[in-house]
Amino acid sequence: MAVLAIAAFVRSVFYLGYLSSELLRRKGRTILTLLGLALGVALVIVITSLSHGLDQAQKTALNPLSSIGTDLTVTVQPDGAGGAFANRTVSTDLSTLGKAGQHFSYDTFSSGSQTTFAQSQAKNVSSISGVTKIATGLTLTVTHQEGKVPKISTQITAGGQRLNVQGQTSPPTAAEMAKMASCLAKQEKSSSSSTTTTTTPSPQQGGSLTGGQGGPGQFGGSAAMRKCMPASMRRFSRTVTTKKQTITKNVKTPKTNIKTSTYTIGGVDTSRTDMGLITAAQVTKGRFLSKKNAREALVANSYASSHKLKLGSTLTIKKTKFRVVGLVQAPLGGQSADVYVPLTQLQTLSGQKKQINVVLVRAGKSSAVGTVQKKIESSFPTAQVASAKEEAAQISGSLVTASDLAKSLGLALSIIVIAMAIMLAALLTLSSIAKRVREIGTLRALGWSRRLVIRQIAAESLAQGIVGGAIGVVIGIAATAVINSFNLSLSASSKAAATTTGGGFRGFASNAQTATQSATSQVALHAPLAGSIILIGFALAVLGGLLAGATGALRAAQLRPADALRQVE
Amino acid sequence: MLAPPLYELRGATRSFRLGNSTIMAVDSMDVALDTEEFVALEGPSGSGKTTLLQLLGALDRPSSGKVFFEGRDLAALSDGELAELRLRSFGFIFQQFNLLTTLTAVQNVEAGLAPLGVSAGELRERSLAMLAEVGLRDRAFHLPSQMSGGEQQRVAIARALLAEPRVVLADEPTGNLDSKSGADVIALLTDLAARHGTTIIVATHDAGLAARAPRRLTMHDGRLVGDEKNGKKAKTTEKR
Repeated sequence: MAVLAIAAFVRSVFYLGYLSSELLRRKGRTILTLLGLALGVALVIVITSLSHGLDQAQKTALNPLSSIGTDLTVTVQPDGAGGAFANRTVSTDLSTLGKAGQHFSYDTFSSGSQTTFAQSQAKNVSSISGVTKIATGLTLTVTHQEGKVPKISTQITAGGQRLNVQGQTSPPTAAEMAKMASCLAKQEKSSSSSTTTTTTPSPQQGGSLTGGQGGPGQFGGSAAMRKCMPASMRRFSRTVTTKKQTITKNVKTPKTNIKTSTYTIGGVDTSRTDMGLITAAQVTKGRFLSKKNAREALVANSYASSHKLKLGSTLTIKKTKFRVVGLVQAPLGGQSADVYVPLTQLQTLSGQKKQINVVLVRAGKSSAVGTVQKKIESSFPTAQVASAKEEAAQISGSLVTASDLAKSLGLALSIIVIAMAIMLAALLTLSSIAKRVREIGTLRALGWSRRLVIRQIAAESLAQGIVGGAIGVVIGIAATAVINSFNLSLSASSKAAATTTGGGFRGFASNAQTATQSATSQVALHAPLAGSIILIGFALAVLGGLLAGATGALRAAQLRPADALRQVE
Repeated sequence: MLAPPLYELRGATRSFRLGNSTIMAVDSMDVALDTEEFVALEGPSGSGKTTLLQLLGALDRPSSGKVFFEGRDLAALSDGELAELRLRSFGFIFQQFNLLTTLTAVQNVEAGLAPLGVSAGELRERSLAMLAEVGLRDRAFHLPSQMSGGEQQRVAIARALLAEPRVVLADEPTGNLDSKSGADVIALLTDLAARHGTTIIVATHDAGLAARAPRRLTMHDGRLVGDEKNGKKAKTTEKR
């Protein structure tokens, strides 16, 4: 065998030399053909890789339900009156938070637009035929308030007013005057001073009082005088009533640092890992919740990065500490949440024991989904049953656009590119053969059989296809790598149920806040390079070139040698 | 048993349709040619010389009539058999040289023998020897574009003779050459033909060359109008 192979090679040396001479000495044409083929192959690789990448991104993002092992979600919309729990306003009663200056942290749970119902009702759903599995969940919105209890006080300054009171005292009687005179005389004797003057207090003078205090009057300074004055004059009393007035002062609203934030929390049925609000499949780091109903939490990647949470972090929900055991890529859609904790933990925290607000349903067959949906809807008239399709319809964003584009254009584009690449290669090969008809005639005149001529030209095309295809593969791989290095990300967002939470501060006027929740997921566009894509691209180039070469050669070889020789170059 | 003539044409006709009219490039020719002859084919342009050479070289099939080569009816042979015949029995020399432009002189010579399937070493050896015979050993690795017309035609002669064919068909081999190169080419051709025992049929305008040929055929409008052998009118159309 080896001898035969070597002999075959030795016999084919001339043809190989002819082939390489033909390709190397007609550089312009060869390069053009190679480039055409390479470009076609590269485009095929890039487009196929991109559409594969989009497909993958779409699978992770656009099919929120199937990723969590679910075909349908069953929720109950609040009726007009609303459940006791639904749409409850969040109010902060500062008086109950603690003393002024104390730090407080406060979590309020609300069910948003999904009314809670008894967990036992889920069993009714599971008994519907066609339903193979169900899982329950509770998705709530947590309004988290945190800050210091504000000090509310006001200062009212009183006093310091000046009051002027004027009045007349009754003049002293004659007896009193006499008594006073004798008293004064007595005092004068005992005193060292030789005052002889007898002063009679004049009612006009003595009646002048200043501030109720014995000012330095004419006799005010004399102790003797004071002693001898009749008691009625010594004790002047009068009741003065100042005008009654009400002091009104607006107290400035105290500065507080109360922060309100909302996030969604999902209570996960931890009894199974393959189906639920979140499943083990979405865990990107760490692990899934254990079945022990422990105080563990899973945090969505986006929420974790914006709140600087990582594995092992502690998350405090209503004063209960949860340990972050895993990060998850939360599926988009109405049932996505920022934080996931075991269902019973959430039920306890939110005071919703044995209550759920979503039942996830898996149908036995994908074809049965529609039937099961109708059955559930008719059995539970108040229930809202959403299929994966409907959930996906709620998702918008660049990913959807790109993926729609890829869907509608991808295949067509691939076919066009492939067709163009092959056509280009074929045209170049055919035109090159057309220019070589005389050469083919000459070869035939030299005694080359038709088969030999076709073999030679097809081999040239094959070689061009292999080289062009190889260049195309290299360009395609490089281009895909460049695209991947750009780290393009496509966003997909879901219009989640708008949850209205009112933050009413009792005692203070406050506006109700409307928080619209919308989950956005950034999906990195990664164009995976599959060996099969490369192989297919390469094979297309080789096959295209070979086909074109063989057809052209066949046509030229069909000519009578005489006719071929007549062709003018 | 009498050996059949090298060629025998019986009413050989080759016509081309050109629009509504039919052109008789070769019109009912009856002629017999013997081996080891040097045949000159004369006639003005368009008289059918090239078409006749192509019929003789199995590059074309007659529209009607028969062409026998060594007693075999060429029309009855398959394409593969004709290719084999062209390879082993016929050598062609063209006015335009028809060298393969991307190949070197030696590769061009090799192209005339490669389909025989000899080993690469033998093929190269024989080709170089043949090039030496036409005086171009030192030009073996030159491309046609690097050679003069005379040199190119000598490469073509080497290529035509490499397989040691029975017949060399040359279509105005000196038509594109100056008189000096032309004379050299003819001298080489006749010399080699004599040495290798090859019949040479040359279509030519050159009266001087034709005059040297022992057999002279003259064509006009596709018809054979003159046939001289050693200066005498040849009796070639023996009706059987």
